[in-house]
Amino acid sequence: MAGQAQILPGNLDLLILKAVSLGPLHGYGILLRIEQISRGALLIEQGALYPALFRLVRQGLLKPSWGTSDNNRRAKFYELTPAGRKRLHQEAADWNRLVAAIALALGAEAEEV
Amino acid sequence: MRFVASLRSLASSLLHRSQIEGDLDEELRAHIANRADDLERSGLPRTEAERRARIEFGGQERYKEECREERGGVWLASLWTDVRFGLRMLSKSRGFSVVAVITLALGIGANAAIFSMVNALLLHPYHFRDLDALVRVWEDRGIDEGYDARYVAPADAKELSTHGELFESIATYEIRSFSLGAGSEIQPALGCRVTANFFDVLSVSPTAGRLFSPGEEQPGDDQVAIVSDGFWKRRYAADPHLLGEKISLNGRMYSIVGIMPKDFDYPVPVELWVPLALTPEEQADRTQLSLQVLGRLKDGVMPDQTGAALANFSRRLEQDYPKTNAGRTMKALQLRKELYVFTLPLFLLLQAAAGFVLLLACANLANLVFARMIGRQREIALRTTLGAGRGRLGQLFLSEMLLYAIAAGIVAITASFASVKMLRTSIPAGWTKWVPGWNGIRVDGNVLAFTIAVALGTGLVLGLATVLHASHVELNNTLKETGAGSVTPAKRRVRSALVIAQVMFAFVLLVCAGLTIQGFVRLADIYRGFQPASVLRLEISLPEKTYPETVKITNFYQQLVRDAASLPGVQHASLITNAPASNVDNETTFFNIEGQPALKAGEAPSADLQIATPDFFATLKISLISGRFLSEADNIDAARVVVISPGMAQRFWPGDDPVGHRIKLGTANSVEPWVTIAGVVGDVRQNWWNPTTRPVIYKPFAQSAQRSMTLLMRTQTNPASYVSAIREVSRQIDPGIALRGVATLEEEVNDSIAIIRIMGILMGIFGLVALVLSSIGVYGVLSESVAQRTREIGIRLALGAETPALMKLILGHALKLTAIGLAIALPVSLTISRAMTSLIFGVVSMNATIFAAFAAVLLLVGLGAGYLPARRAMNVDPMVALRYE
Repeated sequence: MAGQAQILPGNLDLLILKAVSLGPLHGYGILLRIEQISRGALLIEQGALYPALFRLVRQGLLKPSWGTSDNNRRAKFYELTPAGRKRLHQEAADWNRLVAAIALALGAEAEEV
Repeated sequence: MRFVASLRSLASSLLHRSQIEGDLDEELRAHIANRADDLERSGLPRTEAERRARIEFGGQERYKEECREERGGVWLASLWTDVRFGLRMLSKSRGFSVVAVITLALGIGANAAIFSMVNALLLHPYHFRDLDALVRVWEDRGIDEGYDARYVAPADAKELSTHGELFESIATYEIRSFSLGAGSEIQPALGCRVTANFFDVLSVSPTAGRLFSPGEEQPGDDQVAIVSDGFWKRRYAADPHLLGEKISLNGRMYSIVGIMPKDFDYPVPVELWVPLALTPEEQADRTQLSLQVLGRLKDGVMPDQTGAALANFSRRLEQDYPKTNAGRTMKALQLRKELYVFTLPLFLLLQAAAGFVLLLACANLANLVFARMIGRQREIALRTTLGAGRGRLGQLFLSEMLLYAIAAGIVAITASFASVKMLRTSIPAGWTKWVPGWNGIRVDGNVLAFTIAVALGTGLVLGLATVLHASHVELNNTLKETGAGSVTPAKRRVRSALVIAQVMFAFVLLVCAGLTIQGFVRLADIYRGFQPASVLRLEISLPEKTYPETVKITNFYQQLVRDAASLPGVQHASLITNAPASNVDNETTFFNIEGQPALKAGEAPSADLQIATPDFFATLKISLISGRFLSEADNIDAARVVVISPGMAQRFWPGDDPVGHRIKLGTANSVEPWVTIAGVVGDVRQNWWNPTTRPVIYKPFAQSAQRSMTLLMRTQTNPASYVSAIREVSRQIDPGIALRGVATLEEEVNDSIAIIRIMGILMGIFGLVALVLSSIGVYGVLSESVAQRTREIGIRLALGAETPALMKLILGHALKLTAIGLAIALPVSLTISRAMTSLIFGVVSMNATIFAAFAAVLLLVGLGAGYLPARRAMNVDPMVALRYE
């Protein structure tokens, strides 16, 4: 699929936290939300989502609970814990700093050196 | 916080496993259903939508496994799964499991059995409080006369006990044989005269009655006795009113004041203890080393610190009493280590041998497991494909091996209850009672813990080896192959290395076993040197009260020997102080050689001293080397003479005939008369641990009568049938004399080398097990490599290869493995056997024949193990072989 970027495992955690920060979601919902907020630019292998979710739950960043999805299926919903929210802010800030620095470096022209 | 969350996750995952598994399934199913709903909405038919959704999701099982791993606690949960799986595998391949468990159980059981001996004899020979603080002290005169001849002069012992720097308390004692009872009821009893604090030093208390009081160390107030549990039960049928009873010892009446506990038998198993009541003159004696000393070290004093302090103390004594104490140094040895000179080399060797058996068993099993692993390669590959990580697979193999090891451990422990009991009862009680701790050989907590540790360690090592071996399975190749799987050259090398290791261990064990057994056989032969067959022996101790002076003693014994010799069927009767194979070392004496004065008291030469009647040499058929034997003419009025052993002649008169030379017993300033050497007689091995070349001086009994002697009689028929006759002879002369240790000399000889015999048997068993295991190993690897090459062999045969050439190829492989194993084993076994020769009292000696014989045996085994599979391969129909796989 042209125009889509493969994401790194660490980044997936950040994206999940971001997606869930907008409201509790089930697994498939998270996938759709990420697609939506990245305007379909990121490619996520669907199954790979779940080990990441389990990891975040174990770390105490997400809280799972069973509920019913829009199309009336029982589904497990994930919401952000306070620790998750803190982590999201921290990692988002780190990410932005990293991106800015790399963008700056890549944008450098010969005369600026 | 995160940690708490992890813990909660772990706990909940362990507590609600099945529920969580269900949740995971449901969650993933919901995901796929949701996705399918979306796809269906975009126009796909439902079935197609579901199919696409599943494909898009990816490998469900793999992700599930990853989820489980992320959740934590997975290893615990999966361990249980693995254990269950392992148990299923165990019961499924029953044949393999039985072989594996038996192989390991042999190795583990051998170690458990030997450790039970090490535990009892080396680690816990006595059960006294704070055993490590108890030491034996003795005065060393430059020659160590052996552990049972370590004495201190009474005055020196007294001085040491008031010294107070090292010791919390010092007790002295003296082992004595007593005549118990009176008149015709008289019986011998082994006893011990002890200071009043003797039991306190050991910190033991009587089960009934009391200990001695210090006042009872006074001569005249000393007629009290404490008896052993055995004495109470055997002689008094456990009479509850024993305390206060009077017994007659050496003609004096003693009242029983205490009974000791059942397992108390220090210093040796004696029947009673009486106070050591020394007269003031005896107490002041510094010349006679007559007492044994036992000390309890002060808190914080390390046993190895005592050496220097005791040396200082001895120097002070030497300065204060140069006449008596010159050249004597006090030494101390922990009670526990007293018998180490015997037990340490024997049992370390046995433990090492058992360790080798276990290593061999492990190598053998590893080979079996690796062979089976080839069959399981597809299973492994499949598991890997389905998402099992390397760690997860490792855990699987580890738990399988641990299961084998645990099962083997259980078998070994169960069997050890029987085998350990067999070991304990394998040696005659007459011998073992002198070995502290022998009766404590049993499966106790220590042995159990050791066995469990060995079993777990074995499982762990085997499991890790299997993990390493299995970690390089090539997925695609293995899955694609249709056959039973293939062996990479690297793996074939590992398995060959294991065979080589087995041959190596087997060779080392066989050589050690061979040397020990040969040593045993030679020992028996060396004793044959004095021809113990048809000899009866018994010990007599004349009581001081009825035999106060030499004349009476001489008369009694001369009468006894005369009457014994005139019994019908008795060829010779004679007396000796210490008969061969008595398990007691000879008394030693210093002597001076006329014309070669010793410079210092401590440097005087020394030799074993024996007192013998003239017929002694004829009784034991000891040969005459030069001069003459002792004769009846060497009586109290004749010139003083001795005969000596060749060992002494060679050491002190090298290249010269000592006959006619004169020596004087005692140190330089002794007042003993000069005695002439009348002859040199053949060497006698006193006890199996003594080298034959010990210098020995034989004095004629008529010139130096002694109260305690051993009577030897050479008889025409079975010596045991003369027992009642000699008892009657003794009763006729004096009914108040007790005869002890009545036995044939042959029995004594056999009993005395029982420990070497049992060692030989154990080593022999180990060697045999080694031989069997290693031949199975060689056979297994070869037959499998032949099976692997069936196709190749078929092609070769089809192309016209000659069978002899093929046979040579396979046998060559077998020979190569065995030869490499032997090449590695040779230097190892040389080193070990050299250590054995120096450690085990010269019993064992190097023997090239044994090395060559066992090398040949192993080569033959290798050839045999190669021949069977080779022949099978030769009979292969080329067509079948080509179609093979």
